[in-house]
Parts: sequence; structure tokens; C-alpha cells
Amino acid sequence: MSPPAIELRALKKSFGLAEIIRGVDVAIPKGERHAIIGPNGAGKSTLFNLITGKYMPTGGQVLLHGKDVSGMKPFEINRMGLSRSFQITNIFPKMTVFENIRCGLLWTMGYRYSFWHLVNRQRDVSARADEILDQINLSARRDDIAGVLTYAEQRALEIGITIAGGADIIMLDEPTAGMSHSETDYIVDLIRTVTEGKTLVIVEHDMGVVFDLADRISVLVYGEMIATDTPANVRASAKVQEAYLGTALEEDA
Amino acid sequence: MSTATDSPLTAGTRAPLIPLASAMPWIIASVFLLALPVFFPSGSALTIMNQMAITIIFALAYNMLLGQGGMLSFGHAVYMGLGGFFCMHLLNRVEYNELYLPLPLLPIFGGLFGLFFAIIIGSFSTRRAGTVFAMISLGVGELIAACSIIIVAFFGGEEGVSGDRTMGPEVFGFDFASQQEVYYLTVIWLVISALAMFLFSRTPIGRITNAVRDNEERAEFLGYSQRNVRWISFCASGFFAGIAGALFAINFEILTEENLNLATSGSILLITFLGGVGFFIGPVIGAIVFTLLQTVLSLYTEIWQLYVGILFVLMVMFFPGGLTGLIAMHLVPWRLGKIGLLLKPYGQMLLPALAFVFSAAAVMEILFHARHAGTGEEEMSLYGMTFNSHSLTPMIIALAVAFASLMVIKRLAPSLKDAWDEANHMRAGERDEP
Repeated sequence: MSPPAIELRALKKSFGLAEIIRGVDVAIPKGERHAIIGPNGAGKSTLFNLITGKYMPTGGQVLLHGKDVSGMKPFEINRMGLSRSFQITNIFPKMTVFENIRCGLLWTMGYRYSFWHLVNRQRDVSARADEILDQINLSARRDDIAGVLTYAEQRALEIGITIAGGADIIMLDEPTAGMSHSETDYIVDLIRTVTEGKTLVIVEHDMGVVFDLADRISVLVYGEMIATDTPANVRASAKVQEAYLGTALEEDA
Repeated sequence: MSTATDSPLTAGTRAPLIPLASAMPWIIASVFLLALPVFFPSGSALTIMNQMAITIIFALAYNMLLGQGGMLSFGHAVYMGLGGFFCMHLLNRVEYNELYLPLPLLPIFGGLFGLFFAIIIGSFSTRRAGTVFAMISLGVGELIAACSIIIVAFFGGEEGVSGDRTMGPEVFGFDFASQQEVYYLTVIWLVISALAMFLFSRTPIGRITNAVRDNEERAEFLGYSQRNVRWISFCASGFFAGIAGALFAINFEILTEENLNLATSGSILLITFLGGVGFFIGPVIGAIVFTLLQTVLSLYTEIWQLYVGILFVLMVMFFPGGLTGLIAMHLVPWRLGKIGLLLKPYGQMLLPALAFVFSAAAVMEILFHARHAGTGEEEMSLYGMTFNSHSLTPMIIALAVAFASLMVIKRLAPSLKDAWDEANHMRAGERDEP
């Protein structure tokens, strides 16, 4: 059996005396859509940053496809096939939409640090970038400066940049934060299509999105994973109800 | 076989190697540069043009850091200077027949020497951008400038290192004794370097350098090490700075500590910013304007650096896009076909603006003369007038003119602003009006 796409073993992170992640164990198999939920301040984003290399773990391990990546730099982890988006929109605001996507393609298409290719003349890159623009429905805004897009369009662009490199593990940090209902539906559909056949890890506050999208859900409360199970079981779990979900579902209703 | 698609330039699935439209500015610029000595054949004009060409290469190289990579360097003269010193030594070797090296190839070696040091220094200075990079560049700049006085064998101490460019092998019958031959050599290297730097900005690494400048975190999560990206750009910049240094060595046949020190590093920052860091052409314009100010203005006044400083401060405060940004601002009215609306207010503003500039300069010149001329030398001449710098009348007149013109400028400013807003604004259907 192939190793899980992501495996966390007794992962810990402290900032000074504050222990934010207190020993998390979880295994996410390939091709799964996995959601991480939990109250504000539970450490969801910290967990994200630990997996993607932005933070160094204080203890424990992060494994990608069975390989220990704890302590690696973000670009090294990205080259192993993991790509992420950010809670706060993180694009290249001064470049055009097309160029944003192209930046996401260059490394994996083998252009790396090349100074002997002219990017405009690389048809393969341009064609692929246009394909992705089509997928995320931004073809009409291809040559606009990314900074002037609407919020929802910028979020879609961010997802486009994230998936552009063809990573097989996609991690999205609150992709629908601050969106209206119709925008949320649009982005969820988008996420569903572009992550087809890939491993998806998503942090999300909107319970509708989570239960709609996820194969399995992990519940993080005060730095500990109190449950990892199917949406139905998580919903039914008394422990989860007590710790978090009861209030969250009420709010959502 | 003779269809257009089969022509060698467009054969296959690829686009023509270089589309004519994008090659045109380069062709025009090259022809212009090659024709310049016909119109300005005098030795002093050629010297100024050579200096300009060298400054353009250096400023373009500097902008690879500042504009393209977001790296603010306070010590970039180091790479130009080291390239220049190295070439000076090579020239001396050539002179004593220890080395065979045709002069036109010398800039490559200057570039490689600059590159060599950029690799070493960049390996630690490019780890972080922002303040850390700026401080390291300042420290290294100071360090190398200090070394230049200590390591006499390489830097020649206070006299520097000098040589003779004409002692090498002749190339196609040229011995490079005349300024004109040196001009052509310099200008050919200018075109090669500028084109190479322009193309560099269009490569994957060039584009990612912009990406790292705008958002280094995002670039890291796309597989790029921000440090390596900055390092490669830094090395490329060091290479072209070294070429500029070699051309300096060829032109002036002497290098001193002045070529490495912080003043030179500071002035290239000033030149690049003055021209506009956001545009490829920016440093070119900055270098041309600065060299003109430096060479022409300094003929008329001793305090030319004060004026350049004032110009720099005004640009930073009001036009952070530099001179090129100032020109680019007019593209919108131009495209809207409303550039004509600006002619009248600009025309109205011209006279009071000139009056203000000249009267304000007169105030400073009179002050300078009164304070710094030798005792007894109270007579000064300015704008063709001769008067006593110690008497109050000229000062009062200058101040009065400055004040009056400032008042006129203030009164005209609102109408200029209105015209500007109008020229940048397109109302629906406006273009259909007669």
C-alpha cells in the first residue's frame, strides 16, 4: 500500500511558552478531500504553516508520501508536489492575471532559473496558462492587472496559481472567507473541478462548504485533534458537539 | 516553397525570432548612436557621450537590482570598480606583452571579474531583501573602499592604477588612440549590454525576479528559493557593472578609490531613481540627464551638485516614477487625444517657472559668491550681468523675482490641475463630439 499523501506524527509547535499545536497525529490518504475545522485560535493556520514549511515544528514529524519533510523550506516542499493558498489573498498584484498563472507554472514546467529562454516565446507555458485561466473562468480578464480584480476573482486567481504547477497535494486556507453565498458556491464548484483526482486539504469556517466538499473531517481544538472521521460521524460525535460543532452549526443555521 | 510562412524567420511552429515591431526601437537607437559622432565630432562631446554610455550600462545594471529585484544597494560601485581595476591590470599586462588580448574583448573580462565578486558577496547578501540587503551592501561597499587604500598592489593606493589602451594588438587596423574609435567600441558594448539586460528581464528568471520583488512568500510556495532568485539577478547585475567598469578603464585609462567608494554608489542610485526605476528605459534617461547636468552645468556653476540634489529631492517627493514616470503620465491624455488641452496651461506656466528657477538659482549663486569668493573679489557675473555680490540690491531683486514668480505659479496651479484632470478623464461619448 502506498504511504499516505500527508502524515503528521506527534507534531508540536510552540511560540515561546505558548504551545499552539500539542501533538497532532493524522494520516491523509491520496486522493482524499480532507477538511480541518475548529474554533478560532485552535491552531488551524499554524498547522497549515507547519505542513507547508513556513514554520519549523518544535517536535514531531511531517511526512509527504512517506518522506520526512519537517524543517524543509517552502520551496523544497513545493517541489515535492505540495501547493497551498493563503487565508489573506496572496497574489502578485502588479502583474497581469496571465503572468500570475505563468509564475505558478515556470518551475514545474522545467524553466526553473533559466536565463536562456524568453518566456513569451514558450508556447507550452502560454498554452497551459490559458488552459488554467479557462478553468478558473478568468480568460476575460487575462491581461488585466491582478490588483484590480474583484475579491472573488482574486480568490479564484489564487486557486489558479496554487493548482497551476500541477501539484498533487493542494492545501487551501479558508478559500471562501469573506465571500457572499453565490460567490461561495462558485468557488466550491471551482475547487471541486480543479482538485479532481488530487489530495485536498482545506481549512474552512463555513460548515456548509465543509460537509459538502470533504470526504473526511478533522476537528482541531486548542492544538489537539479531537476527531478525524467521515462528515456523518463527525456530525454525530458527542465529543465534537460538545467541544465545537454544536455552537458552529447553530451559528451556521 | 516561397510562401511567407516558409521564410527562415518564421519557419516551423515558432514565432519569428524577433518581431520587427519590438526590434525597431533597438535598430533606431543603434543607428542613432552610430550617427552621433557625425553631429558631435569634437573631442569633448565624444568624452561626454562615452561617459554617458558607461553610466547608462551601469545604471541599467543597477536597476536590475533596484527596479527588477527590489534590492536597494548602497555599494554597487564595488562591482564596476573591481571590474575596472582588473581590466587596468590586464591592459598593463598587454602592454608588457605578457598577454594577448584585443581591446574590444576586454569588457568581457571586466564583466567576469564583476560576476566573480557578485557570486561571492551575493551568496550572503541576498539571503534577505530590504534593510538587511541594504545594510550589507553598505558594509561591503565601505569595506572594499577601505581595502583599496590598504591593498596597494591591486588598487595602487591613492594614485590608483593607470595604463595605456593603445599598446595592445591592432584590431582591423584600429589602435583606439582616437576618441572616436573608443566611442564606437563603447557604444557597441552599450547596445550589446542593454539588449542582453532587456532580454534578461524577459526570461523565466527575470519574471520570477519581479515576482520575488512583489511577493517573496508567494514565490517560495511556487517552488522558487527567494535567495537563489535574488542571487542570480545580483550576479547578472554584477556582470554588467563589471562591463561598465572595463569601459571606464578603456576610456579614462585610470581607476582610483573614487570608482569604488560610497559617493559613486550613491550617485548611481540617484541616477537610476531620477530616471525612473519602474521602466527599463528609466536608467537610460537618468544617466543621460545626470551626465549632462554633471558636465554642462558644472561649467557654469560650482554648486551644480546642490541643484542636482534639489532636483532629486523634488522628484522623490512629487514624481516617484522619475523622469520616465513623468513622461508616462502623459500617455493617458495622449491616448484620449486630449494632450492638446495641456498645451495652454503648460505654456502659461513656462515663463513663471523659468523665472522662478533662474531667480532662485541667482539667490543661491549670490550667497555662494558672497561667502566663498576670495577677499576683495566682490564682483561677480551672472546671466551676463556683472554686479557686487556684497551689495543688497541684486539679492533683493533676485528674491523679489523669485517671490513674484512663485505667486504667479500659485495662481496658475489650479487651472493647470483642472486641465490635467480634464485631460485624464474620458466622459461617455466625448470622443464623438466635433
